Amino acid sequence: MTRAGFSLVVGMAARNLSRHRAKTVITAVAVAVSVALYIFVDSWLYGMNLDSRRNIVSYETGAAKIQSDAYFSRKDDLPTHESFSGWEAIAARLESSGYRVAPRFTFTGTVYSNSASAPMMIYAVDVGRERALLRYPDYVEYGRFPNPGTREIAVGAMVAERLRVGIPQRPTLDEFAGELLSAGRDDGEKAFIRDLYEPYRPQKTRNGIFDPSEGAGLDGLAENRLSLKASVDKRDLGRLWDILAANGRMGVRISTSIDIKGLPERIPAGKADDDILPGFDYRERAAFSSVYRLEGDDYRLIGGDATDGTDAELALAALIRLDYAGAVKHVNQLVDAVVVGVINSPNPMLNGNVGAMPIDGLSDEAGLMLAGRVTELLVRSARADDSRLPGKDESAGAITSAAGTLPAGLGVHGWAAYAESYITAARGDQVSSRLMVFFLFLLSFLGIANTMLMAILERTREIGMLRALGMTDSQLLLAYVVEASLVGLIGSAVGVLVGCAINVPMVKYGIDYSSMTKALNGDIGYRVATSFRSAWNAASIVATFIGATVLSGLMAVAPAARALRLPVTESLRFE
Amino acid sequence: MAGTSECVIETKDLVKNYELNGITVEALRGVDLAFGPGEFAAVAGPSGSGKSTFLHLVGCLDVPTSGTVSVGGRDTALMGRSALALLRRQTIGFVFQAYNLIPVLSAIENVSFPLVLLGEGPNEARERSLAMLESVGLGGMGDRRPKEMSGGQQQRVAIARALVKRPSLILADEPTANLDSKTAREILELMLELNRREGTTFVFSTHDQLVMEYARRLVRLRDGKVESEELK
Repeated sequence: MTRAGFSLVVGMAARNLSRHRAKTVITAVAVAVSVALYIFVDSWLYGMNLDSRRNIVSYETGAAKIQSDAYFSRKDDLPTHESFSGWEAIAARLESSGYRVAPRFTFTGTVYSNSASAPMMIYAVDVGRERALLRYPDYVEYGRFPNPGTREIAVGAMVAERLRVGIPQRPTLDEFAGELLSAGRDDGEKAFIRDLYEPYRPQKTRNGIFDPSEGAGLDGLAENRLSLKASVDKRDLGRLWDILAANGRMGVRISTSIDIKGLPERIPAGKADDDILPGFDYRERAAFSSVYRLEGDDYRLIGGDATDGTDAELALAALIRLDYAGAVKHVNQLVDAVVVGVINSPNPMLNGNVGAMPIDGLSDEAGLMLAGRVTELLVRSARADDSRLPGKDESAGAITSAAGTLPAGLGVHGWAAYAESYITAARGDQVSSRLMVFFLFLLSFLGIANTMLMAILERTREIGMLRALGMTDSQLLLAYVVEASLVGLIGSAVGVLVGCAINVPMVKYGIDYSSMTKALNGDIGYRVATSFRSAWNAASIVATFIGATVLSGLMAVAPAARALRLPVTESLRFE
Repeated sequence: MAGTSECVIETKDLVKNYELNGITVEALRGVDLAFGPGEFAAVAGPSGSGKSTFLHLVGCLDVPTSGTVSVGGRDTALMGRSALALLRRQTIGFVFQAYNLIPVLSAIENVSFPLVLLGEGPNEARERSLAMLESVGLGGMGDRRPKEMSGGQQQRVAIARALVKRPSLILADEPTANLDSKTAREILELMLELNRREGTTFVFSTHDQLVMEYARRLVRLRDGKVESEELK
C-alpha cells in the first residue's frame, strides 16, 4: 500500500471513531481504567519490591555473605557449629580491595526481661564494622547502639514493646502507672515522667495518605492509652532512659544453646562399627584410628596432640557428615545483658524479634565462648550506593576473586540467596496481583472486541462497497485494526496520564501500613516498615501503553476477518 | 455484439445457482453476452430475472457456478481474491442504487478514494476529483458530507467516483431507482455525455423505462436467460 493509501486508511479509521462517539468513549474509558489500574498496581508492586530489595541489602545481608558451605546448605536452621574462625585475614584482603566486611555470629535464644520474655534472633556483631556496612544501627530510635566489648544489646522496637524494655511510645494507663511513673525516684522525676506523656489521640500520620489503624487501632483501644508527646526531645528521652534503666527495666537475660562441634570423648564400639565406620572412606578410617583407641566397649579419644591435628579435623568432618549427634555439643548458656537502644528501621525485620550485641563481649566463658568464631562475614563495596542494588563489582564472583584464596569449605553467596523466601513470596504476590488486573484488561478488551463487532456489523454494506471499489482484504483488515488501535491508543494515553497522576502521591507518600507491620510483628514479607511507596517504572508504563494499543488493535482482527469471509454481493445486500 | 478479444466484458454459458433454504435457485441459466468499448447498454427484466446477478458476476463481485466471465480479455475464473480486487480497482467503476458513499468522507474524498487506492498522489487525486465533481455538476460542493446532500447529488458523487479513475467499464445497478424522474433524467443525461466524451462502456441493470429509453442496446432477461436483444 502506498503512503497516501495508508494515510487514507488511517484517516478513515480516525473519522469512523466519531460515528459511534458514545461507544468509542465508553470503550476508551474501559481501556483507560485498565491501563491506569495496571500502572498503579505495577508501580506499587515495583516500588515495594525495589524498596524491599534495597532494604534487604542495606539492613540485613549486605551484597554477599561468606559462610562455610556446611552452614550455607542448612542456613535456615542456623547451624552454629558450622561457624568458622580466621576471618580477619579474609576481611583484611577484602578491605584492601575496597570492600567493607562485617563478621557476625548469629544465634537464637529466649530473652527474659523483668516482666516478659520473647524468642529472639541475636546478631553478635563487630560494632564498628557493622555500623559501617549496614544501616540499621543508624535507626536506634531511643538510646544508642551497643558499645564494643560490652554486654549491651539493641533490640527491635516490636520486641522491646513485648519485653517492656526501652521507652514505651503508647503505654496503657496501667503500664504508665506501674512501670514508668513508679520508676521515678522522687517527685521531681515523677513530674518529669508525667510531663512526657499525653492522652493518645489517633491522628493522620505525617507521611501516609491514610493510616489503616486510624480510630480503633489494631493495638488496642485508643482511650486507654497515653502517648509520648511529639515535642519530647532527645535529651529528655535520654534522661527518661536513665531513670528507667536505674529502675532495672533495661536488664535482660538471654537463654541460649550454642552448638559446638568437637570430637566426642567416647563412641560406643557397636555404633562406630555398625553405623559410622562403614560410611567412612579409607582416609577417614585412618584418621579415625589415629585419634580413637578401642578400650572395652568404647572407642576413646586419645588426648594430647592427636586431637588438634589434620586427622582430628578429618575425623570430625566425617562424623558431622554422617550426622553423628555426639559430634555436636549443645552448650546452654545464660547471658545477662543491658538493653541500651531500640531499633526502629525502615526494614521491619530488624524491628521484630531481633537484637544486636558486640561479638567481643561474648567471646569469653561468661559469654558464648566464641573465641573468634563467626557464622558469616557480610560484604559490601565501600563505594556502594544504598539507592541501588549491588552491581557487578559486588557479585559473588567479584568478591570471591577479591578475597583471594578462601579457606577450604568457605564460599561467597550473593544476597539474593538469603532472600529466596522473600523473592518467591513477592513473585507470587506480583503474579496474583497482575492476574487480577489482567482479567480487568480482558474485560475492557472484550469491550473493544464487542464495539468493533458491532461497528463492523453495521458497516457490512460499506465493506462490500469498499471491496467493490477494489480494496483488498488486507487493506480492509488493516483499516479496522487501525480503528480499534486508535480506540486503544486514546484509552491508553488517558490511562497513562491518570495512572501517572495517581502515581505522583503514591511515589511521594505511599500508603502507611505501619500498624499492620506492627500487628504482624514485622513479618509481612515485604521489607518496608511504614509507607508502601510506588516507584516509577518507565519501561513498564511504555510497555503497558504499547501493549494495550496493540492488543486493542488485535481485537478487531476476528470480527473483521469474519466480515471479509462474506461474499461481496452478500455484503452489498446486507440490511 | 459478437464475442471478440476487443470486448470489454464477455460471458459464455454463464450459470449461477443459489442455495436458498435448501432449495437451489437458478438465477442465471447459460447467458452468452459481450459488451464492447463505448457501449451504453441496459440489461432489463422483471424482478428475479437475473439482471443484478449478471451485473455482479461481470463486475467480479461474485463467482459463477459454471461458465466464464472475461474482463478485458482476461478469464476471471483464473484469478484469486486479491487479483480480482485489483481488477475491480483498475478496470471497473460501480454505481449502486443506494449510492453507497462513505459517510465519514466528504464528496471530494469519496471521489478521490479510488485514485488514492490506485496510488495517485494526494494533490493530483484532489485536482482530478475536483474536475470530475465539476463535470457532474457539483462544483463547489466538494467539502460536503453525503448526509448534507440530496439523493441526486449523492448519485452524482457516486458517478464521479466511478468515472474518476477512467475505467473501461462502468456497471450501474438500478442507478435511478431512488431518484425522482427529473433527477433520474439528469443523471442519465450526465452518464450519456460522459459515455460519449470518455468512451467508457456503461452497462445498467434496470427495470426503469427511462433507462431503457436512453440505452443504445437493450438486453432483456427472463428466468435467467436472454429473452431478447435490441440495438437502437
